[in-house]
Amino acid sequence: MKAVGARLPRYDGVAHVTGRTAFVDDVRVPDMLWAKALRSPVHHAGIVRLDTSKAEAMAGVHAVVTYKDVPRNVYGHLEALGIPGDEPLLAEDDVRYKGQPIAVVAAESEEAAQAAVEAIELELDERPALFDIRKAADPDAPKIHHWGNWYPHFEAEMDRRQIRKGDIDKAFDEADTIVSGVYRPAAIEHCPLEPQTALVVPEASGRLTIYSCTQALYFSMGVVAAHLEWPLNKLKFVGGTVGGGFGGKVDTATETVTSLLALKSGRPVKWRWTREEEFLCSSTRAPWHMEISDAVTKDGWILGRRMLTLHDSGAYARFSPYGVTKHSFHHTGAYTIPNLHFDGYVVFTNRVPTTAMRGFGVTSVSFATEVHVSRTAQVLGIDPFEFRLRNANRIGDTSPNGISYTDPSTVPTILAIAEAIGHELPAEYRTMSRVPRAAELLPEHLTAQVGSTEAH
Amino acid sequence: MNLTINGAEYELSSPPLATLLFALREEVGITGPKAGCNQGGCGACTVLLEGEPVRACLMPLAAVDGASITTVEGLGQPERLSTVQAAFHQEYGSQCGFCTPGMITATHALLERTPSPTRSDIEEALSGHVCRCTGYVKIIQAVEAAARGEVAEESALPGLADAQPGQPDVVIPGSPA
Amino acid sequence: MSVAAHEEQDVLLPRSRDEAIAAFGTGAGITVLGGGTILMPELSAGRLKPDRVLMLARAGLDEIRENGTSLVIGAGVRLADLGDAPEPLATAVRRVGDPEIRNQATIGGNLCASPGPDFPRGDLQAPLIALGATVRSAGSGGERSEPVEDFVTGDPSARLVLELEVPTGRWGASASVRRPHAHAYTILAVSASMATDGSDLRLAVTGAGPHAARLRSVEEGGLAGADPERALNDIQPVDDALASAWYRQKMLPVLVARALSELKEPA
Repeated sequence: MKAVGARLPRYDGVAHVTGRTAFVDDVRVPDMLWAKALRSPVHHAGIVRLDTSKAEAMAGVHAVVTYKDVPRNVYGHLEALGIPGDEPLLAEDDVRYKGQPIAVVAAESEEAAQAAVEAIELELDERPALFDIRKAADPDAPKIHHWGNWYPHFEAEMDRRQIRKGDIDKAFDEADTIVSGVYRPAAIEHCPLEPQTALVVPEASGRLTIYSCTQALYFSMGVVAAHLEWPLNKLKFVGGTVGGGFGGKVDTATETVTSLLALKSGRPVKWRWTREEEFLCSSTRAPWHMEISDAVTKDGWILGRRMLTLHDSGAYARFSPYGVTKHSFHHTGAYTIPNLHFDGYVVFTNRVPTTAMRGFGVTSVSFATEVHVSRTAQVLGIDPFEFRLRNANRIGDTSPNGISYTDPSTVPTILAIAEAIGHELPAEYRTMSRVPRAAELLPEHLTAQVGSTEAH
Repeated sequence: MNLTINGAEYELSSPPLATLLFALREEVGITGPKAGCNQGGCGACTVLLEGEPVRACLMPLAAVDGASITTVEGLGQPERLSTVQAAFHQEYGSQCGFCTPGMITATHALLERTPSPTRSDIEEALSGHVCRCTGYVKIIQAVEAAARGEVAEESALPGLADAQPGQPDVVIPGSPA
Repeated sequence: MSVAAHEEQDVLLPRSRDEAIAAFGTGAGITVLGGGTILMPELSAGRLKPDRVLMLARAGLDEIRENGTSLVIGAGVRLADLGDAPEPLATAVRRVGDPEIRNQATIGGNLCASPGPDFPRGDLQAPLIALGATVRSAGSGGERSEPVEDFVTGDPSARLVLELEVPTGRWGASASVRRPHAHAYTILAVSASMATDGSDLRLAVTGAGPHAARLRSVEEGGLAGADPERALNDIQPVDDALASAWYRQKMLPVLVARALSELKEPA
């Protein structure tokens, strides 16, 4: 363990400081073509007509790809986790977010590619758009997804991620106070300094060499192989240094389309997104709407939590059902709450589809829980450290999804922080440890409920 | 058009309104300066023009005909890092590395005109350089270390065999020793 | 990311002031390029496809000279070289972009900046107006000088800015609402200036319309009688990406009051 905490040089440090690190855009091959995309100018519309013939005929244009060129246009990136696909690689019947790619051109220069994009004829039949997840269930809300306005394919075809534990009604009856709050973190753009870029080289052997900025090399290889309906061994992915990803470079947003252009033109093709495309068309961290009501006693126990989560998935599901699932598992944060009633919905809107970003699904509820716990302590007039220590998870407590904690660090961490900042605690709290089960500290009538769960 | 880049003479055929960044990366093949935004807003394309830092993505080629340009490649090489480069390496002032060429270039210019910058001078000099990875703290520490000349010789940076575990600031009771 | 397809464009690179004036002509079909910090992103992205570009990089318009009671600043003078300009111009200059941008951007370019799609631009117009600066330009009808506040209400693209004459020896002050980091677009900024004997009070505002506006309604009161609320008579603010018109209307009198207060009692 001597490497932990030691000051070791980064293996890529010298390359970084001398400008030698090769990012995808630094790779050059002879005869490279450049790609530009035609993207939806509106939030929601049916595609009435798409005619790329003028673009294909332009000087310097070597290939134009649309949904017709994609062997498997709709592929669910997380099909292996049971999340079916809903998102086309290139739009076919409709567009559901502004910026959605419809056709992509490969040409001798970026300017020639852009001129060809402008020559593509696109006729759209605009439809009303939905932006507010709170309105998705209104009777007059526009219908914006073929599955309905929220994801309906959780296990057993449930339309929400649901957790039920203990007896929530009893907890709310016996509470001295109910503390409620609504938490709505906004979308965040990953904004890596390196825009998404792919370079694909068609090899004489029939394989493709794909220079990719992906954070997840083998995952992206699987995505490309699935769309192309190719075996994995026909692809050679060259990954390496990612110029910042933060979760936004897992979507595999450039590799497949660039591969299709390389195959169709027979030439190497590079597609690099502009900063405008990154801001306007790339996936973001999701906005969330969380309503929390905690049933608490005046001596500082959280008896139960009711929680409703609406997650803004944007126009397609992408990874959101997985994000909401993780969110549900962690919705009590660092604390053990014996009675739970949680419902989480993956709601569709006509925004850019949302995706993973550092702590996917969990950062939202950690933020909400911590703020809510602080507010509750304030309402009860209890020291926020003591309130947290009392309710902190212990060894043997169970998480919302029934996992038994074997090594939760909440209690020692809070005590270490209190000591580090000189926050005085009464002896009873200073000597708390994570070893006793929370049950030994709970009011008797709730003791039996700790550890039982009926989560779905 | 003619340019001196990192001490070598080049004759360029890119159009007069092509950006200097385009000419460097696409025509000459010097890829240290990066295209982060192409609008002058991120700093990743920064080069030295007659020693002064400018945005290569905003510089029309015709405006620099006959001029002398220095990129990060000209400031130091792997076999012989500049003090600034060694400081960034030693102080971990770089994570993904994309903003690093711009940061290093701007820092060279800063220390050339202000050898003992205050923190405020450093923040001002790097104010147009966006880093999405590091949170800037170690970048500023690197600049300060370079200014003080407190940089270990390359050979003194330890390899794994010589690693010494560090001491944490706060010990959580029950953590492994 | 600019690509090799500008062959259709005519690039003019005059080597002197006279050559620049001759090349500009009436300005018809000409796009003037100063430092390039505003125009180059548009060209690179293909949003602007000018037929003829007049580059001022070699036109010799980058001199600063003293002329008794004023400073004559060439249109091509870089913002980085205006550190000693009279206040409130120097403060406004220091807030444009960042050090690298200021190494390239020119005062002429900033003066002629068209409004951004969603935000104000041309932050130096207001301090120049407050100082009583005049701009000498060439174009249809020959050379002429006029106050900056008249120049900005005309069509800057029909004139080739040659130089600015900025009075010195005045007191200056400013107050603004802006985020305190580089590249922050100014939401609202008031520039104020007066002669050292307290006469000739002049005020101007950035961010309350498509270009800077002079606040004559406030000036009428003189330093002693100036009423900040009257500034609302001189502006037509709009909603944009940075702030609403309502917010700007609320903040303008506050900023005017602060600028006046600083003129009376410099910090």
